[in-house]
Amino acid sequence: MILTGLKIKSEVYNGNIHIKPFLEDNLNPNSYNYRLNNKLLEISEDVINPFSYAKCNEITLTDAGYRLDPKKVYLGSTIEEIGSDNYVTQLIGRSSVGRLGLFLQITAPLGHIGSKHCWTLELKSVQPLIIYPNMKIGQVSFWCVEGQIRFYNGKYNLYNEPHISEFSKELTNE
Amino acid sequence: MILTGEEIKKKVKSNEIVINPFDENAINPNSYNFRLGDYVKVYKNKILDSKIKQECEIINIGKDGLLLSPDILYLGYTMEEMGSCSYVPIISGRSSTGRLGLFIHITADLIDIGSINHWTLQLHAVQPVRIYKEMPIGQVTFWKPFGDIVLYNGKYQGSKEPKESQIWKDFL
Repeated sequence: MILTGLKIKSEVYNGNIHIKPFLEDNLNPNSYNYRLNNKLLEISEDVINPFSYAKCNEITLTDAGYRLDPKKVYLGSTIEEIGSDNYVTQLIGRSSVGRLGLFLQITAPLGHIGSKHCWTLELKSVQPLIIYPNMKIGQVSFWCVEGQIRFYNGKYNLYNEPHISEFSKELTNE
Repeated sequence: MILTGEEIKKKVKSNEIVINPFDENAINPNSYNFRLGDYVKVYKNKILDSKIKQECEIINIGKDGLLLSPDILYLGYTMEEMGSCSYVPIISGRSSTGRLGLFIHITADLIDIGSINHWTLQLHAVQPVRIYKEMPIGQVTFWKPFGDIVLYNGKYQGSKEPKESQIWKDFL
């Protein structure tokens, strides 16, 4: 079952959902709007190899805005630390942002239960698009679970800023 | 929990789910297929700015269809007016259209409970693909909510056509 906005609010106040900072105005009927932090990573290699650590350029977003190139994927971050030990988090865009053709994740909306941090956003625009720091750029929904819970304790738990893929570690850990 | 097709049908009949017009043949085991309306909108500007209201122009979909270009975002709309005050709708494409590389929303699949509209579809083609009006282009699923409900009453309520982004209002 998907939590309503009122349930998200009561579970934040009960400590069962972690959204920090939390603004009641950002609640929707079924989700919570997160904001875009001011740091972006742009992969600077022409060909991306999942088995090596990709080189990136770091971009700082300012109030002048930054124009996204449709041929690239950028890694951004939520301002908020988000997650829960009780519910599964799904991270998606907002329809206002989808109507401008901006992807906020690339087929990877599912968060692991127990994962609580600023989330890395995978930004890709269909047309060139100017974005701004602090804009309400997406939403998270929370879902009830069935079954015994084992918390996430993986590669990305420690990061509160945009973080590059660590797919290469999956090979070296074998 | 996700409603089965049979449950969707029951809830349409009891008016807890709105799908208008409703075609029983469009029911799937866990979803309902919706169809594409007869025109799309495109932004007049190539470079879009989130902070500034963007104007659009209309492109009609004639009988020969419309060829989508991969470097343009198209705003379509569902033929059906849909929504629910009891369940949460989530839209997706159909695997038949996904297999053609056609996105029908851009990471914005979640519909607010209480939102009853002809939904705006955000169409993006990986390769040039021709679309046709009334084609069954996507599907909607319905999910049980947990918690007290406050119904959607926002910017896009009552839409009968594709609605461009109003995110510029966030910057006022």
